[in-house]
Amino acid sequence: MAPQPVVTGLSPKEGPPGTRVIIRGEFLGTESIDLIGLKICGSDCLLSAEWVSPNKIIARTGPAKGLGDIIVTTRSGGEGTSSVQFRAIGNHEIIGPLKESAVWIEEAPTQNFAWGRRTLVQSVLTQEDPLGLSTEGNEQKNVDNLRELFPSSSGDLLQENFSPALFLLEKHSATTFADLKVGLKHLNRKVESQKEGQLSFLKSNAGSVIDQLDTMMNIRDKLLEDLNQYGPEPLNVLEQQIENSISKSEDIFTDVLVRKEKADSTRAVLLALSRHKFLFCLPNSVEKKAAAGEYDIVVNDYARAKSRFGKTEIPIFRTVMEEVDHRILQIRKQLHEKVIKMPQSVEQQRKLIKALISLEVQQSGSNINDKLRNADPAWDAIDARAKYLEQTFKQTFEQYASKDAQGAEKSKNRDPSQPPNRVAFCEEICEIAASQLPDLWRLGQMYFTGELRGPNDPRPGDFKRMILNAIEKFCIYLKIAMCTTDAEARSLRQSVGLIWPISHGSHDIFKAWLPQCLRYTRITYATLISLDLPSSALDIVQKFIDETRLHCFSNIFERATQKCSKLTDLETWEMGVEDFPGATLLPQRLEDLLIETLDEAQQACINPEIREGNLLETESDGQREVSLRLQKMLLCFCDVIQELAFNSHKEETPTHNVSQLLGYPNNQSSGPASGRFASLSPSTAITWEQRMLCCLANCAYCNKSFFHRVGKLFERYGYPLPSLAIETARYSVNKLFSNILDAYVEHKGDPLVGTIEPSMYLGGFQWDIEMPIGNLRPYAHECCDNLVAVYSEIYTISPALLRSILEPIVLTISEELARLMSCVPQFSYSGAIQANVDIRLLRDTMRIYTNETGRNYFLEALEAINPPLNAEQMKQADEILEHVKERMKLQLMCFFVKEP
Amino acid sequence: MSKKPTAGPALHKVIMVGSGGVGKSALTLQFMYDEFVEDYEPTKADSYRKKVVLDGEEVQIDILDTAGQEDYAAIRDNYFRSGEGFLCVFSITDDESFQATQEFREQILRVKNDESIPFLLVGNKCDLNGIRRVPLAECQQRAQQWQVPYVETSAKTRENVDKVFFDLMREIRSRKTEDSKATSGRAKDRCKKRRLKCTHL
Ligand SMILES: Nc1nc2c(ncn2[C@@H]2O[C@H](COP(=O)(O)OP(=O)(O)OP(=O)(O)O)[C@@H](O)[C@H]2O)c(=O)[nH]1
Ligand SMILES: [Mg+2]
Repeated sequence: MAPQPVVTGLSPKEGPPGTRVIIRGEFLGTESIDLIGLKICGSDCLLSAEWVSPNKIIARTGPAKGLGDIIVTTRSGGEGTSSVQFRAIGNHEIIGPLKESAVWIEEAPTQNFAWGRRTLVQSVLTQEDPLGLSTEGNEQKNVDNLRELFPSSSGDLLQENFSPALFLLEKHSATTFADLKVGLKHLNRKVESQKEGQLSFLKSNAGSVIDQLDTMMNIRDKLLEDLNQYGPEPLNVLEQQIENSISKSEDIFTDVLVRKEKADSTRAVLLALSRHKFLFCLPNSVEKKAAAGEYDIVVNDYARAKSRFGKTEIPIFRTVMEEVDHRILQIRKQLHEKVIKMPQSVEQQRKLIKALISLEVQQSGSNINDKLRNADPAWDAIDARAKYLEQTFKQTFEQYASKDAQGAEKSKNRDPSQPPNRVAFCEEICEIAASQLPDLWRLGQMYFTGELRGPNDPRPGDFKRMILNAIEKFCIYLKIAMCTTDAEARSLRQSVGLIWPISHGSHDIFKAWLPQCLRYTRITYATLISLDLPSSALDIVQKFIDETRLHCFSNIFERATQKCSKLTDLETWEMGVEDFPGATLLPQRLEDLLIETLDEAQQACINPEIREGNLLETESDGQREVSLRLQKMLLCFCDVIQELAFNSHKEETPTHNVSQLLGYPNNQSSGPASGRFASLSPSTAITWEQRMLCCLANCAYCNKSFFHRVGKLFERYGYPLPSLAIETARYSVNKLFSNILDAYVEHKGDPLVGTIEPSMYLGGFQWDIEMPIGNLRPYAHECCDNLVAVYSEIYTISPALLRSILEPIVLTISEELARLMSCVPQFSYSGAIQANVDIRLLRDTMRIYTNETGRNYFLEALEAINPPLNAEQMKQADEILEHVKERMKLQLMCFFVKEP
Repeated sequence: MSKKPTAGPALHKVIMVGSGGVGKSALTLQFMYDEFVEDYEPTKADSYRKKVVLDGEEVQIDILDTAGQEDYAAIRDNYFRSGEGFLCVFSITDDESFQATQEFREQILRVKNDESIPFLLVGNKCDLNGIRRVPLAECQQRAQQWQVPYVETSAKTRENVDKVFFDLMREIRSRKTEDSKATSGRAKDRCKKRRLKCTHL
């Protein structure tokens, strides 16, 4: 036998008779017919029971009151138990169809089935045996036989065709005769007593019997009367009336029924409407909410409706739901349009996408979804955003570029302190990139982390490509705007097809703004770095920034070089270099300029900011550029010196302040010779010689130490030592030095040497005449004086230059002497001594400043004396030389200082 | 035929409360009969009772599944009175149902007049996380504010279904032992003790 049924669940657990209940439990029958009994609160409900599963039965409760168990009986498991109880609520007023009611009252469901099919009416009266005997043991076996024997008789005392014999045969076939006799006596007694009773009954009730007789008489009279009145069959009339009333009542009843039905349906509709107001309002409310942009409410409401009515079978609900589905579809279309509409904030987009996705998810699977497929709204949004970004770039570019194109004329009288349009463009495009790229990236992040993902797989490759594209575009636009040469612009036009309309000369104005543009770019770059973009994306910007930094650097140096070329105007001829007398403050000016420039470059571009390359890597483009720029600047500086040396004083002619025996003695040299002065005040006119000497000193200074100092300066700023630039510059400065030197020597030496011959033969002097000796000849004196003048001139400016200048002069003097001597055909006795003394004095005096060739020339000059000196002559010459040297000691002492 | 289960296993009376359609019936039927009902049929008041084994001890759980629909709100007071523990259910996909938990909580506290009545805040339909409308943090915050546990369930996937019922029964059981101790001991200390415990939490 299967286990006993157990009821463990009841839904609902209380209600009026006729409530539909779901009964749950275990072993509630193996199949429908296994269920043979169901009692709820003692009332049998098997008739209404619908067996669903061994765990579930649905039934309606019967007419019962109070709390009671639910007992299920099955053929297989017998009578069951219940752990839950039903409370039957009986005191509900039941409104029938005929009872009028002012209010809607929950009617008891019509119970149009018989309660309990077992409860049949027991109409058989249990009758006592008329003989007062027990009928036990008289079971009738051959009832059929008896029926044949007594076809038209009955054993039933109450029947008209009662047959005592049959009665006895039926009921008492086994009763003994004695007993029958006792029975007869009993019957007699009973009849007797009844008779007596009848009489006494009549006696005691005589009044009422008479009343009854009167009444019966009355009835008879009435009947006769009726007979007169209505004929012999008055019942027909009555029947007619009754039938009439029946049909009337039926009419009324059907009328009521119709009304009730109407009322029922109206009520049902009203109830449904009020209960499902939400659903019926939904088509309009979703549209209103969607119009107001409250999409999350739409999503929520739709989800609620779906979960409540999504699978409803009720046609009206289905139509409404279909309408809702349809509107939602429209909303989805709108949403999709809104999602890809730009500009808008990411937050907004995110909200819209989320709403769209959940609406889509909710509609997925249903056939309405087939009508619209926006495969991947988040992706579409990303796409739209990327396109918008690109378009914004383009528009901004066109807008600013057109300003420059039309405003070509206007731009001429533009305020120079106002940034050019290009700068404004750079600022704007950087701002656009810094605001839109992060948005795009964030949206992408949301998409890839799954927050906004639709049913499709994401496309990481595409997105990365998109970001890279956007960044590349950004860099290209910047590049176009930041072009500073026409060639660069042309090559860009070739590669990307765009060009900034550049009016003549605007490059130069723009260059000063380049660092500003770099700053904008860097700010955007920092924003991008903080986004965690893939490094390939950042690298694009980095490359551009590094290029621009170099570009900036070049510009700064270019400008510095221009400034350097203007240094000519700043030369004050003030000599202030400690370790190189004669050098002016000009190199110092250059150094100041360099420091200023390096500072600027450092600030503007050289110092690498976050995630930027080091421009000064050895063997890099940066380093080469630095070297090149420095070289240019230093060469420019050389040009400045050259300019100062040769061109700055065209109007002045070099003063030939060489004392000439032919003319008047020149006193100009006495001015500057009045002592070593620290500065040549700019107000006092500066002589050509002073300029030349200062320039020479500057050249020498540059070569010797200043250019190295520049190198050190660069090293101090963290640059690799630009040796190539320095060596090149030194080479140039040396060449300049020798050029200036040549010029100076030419100007100084030529007149000096040129006066020797005329002075020597002044006054018809001839070497072959005897002459008084014991002194120097005036020409030699003059030569010495002139040399001293040159010496002092140089010495006051820069002693370091003495050797370089005096050496070539001395050389020409010695050469001139050798030439002059060799041209003298004959010396007199005294003449030979004199010539010997003159030459030797000059030779000895200028010993320090004479080189090998010079010495040879002096020797040559001495040997040219013809005839050569004999011993006597030599002795005299020596004496005289000694004497002259002694006299001229103070004058000539300067030439013997080894390191002046 | 023994009718009422008289003395025998302990009986714990659980009441399901929450807005209509959040899944109270679904949770109950899943717990009782391992079945998930897709259709939504608003409940009036359903009663369920069965034997379960709670930590090795056989007990009886009596579940009263109440109506979430507003139409039946008036009869709730009566039902709540008999409850020993409450599962306050809302749907994580329906913010309104979450907001409604506040009212349910207040009604229960008013009827039971006991701040520490066994009570679990249950976020149902967690299988629909995709269209979630109530952020997890907000649920947890509310649970913390009430000092009740917060559990997310799914009547569909059966996730945490047993857990909420068993957790609640444990709370009810420990409340009962505490109460019986308290009544046998110093009844007046009870409130103090509980208050202390609360501040501890
Ligand atoms: N996906 C999902 N659906 C659920 C879940 N729980 C319930 N549902 C569905 O939600 C709808 C309502 O569930 P019910 O359990 O009837 O709601 P209720 O809380 O009892 O509602 P009332 O009886 O009116 O208070 C039904 O269609 C269920 O199928 C769940 O965890 N996940
Ligand atoms: Mg329910």
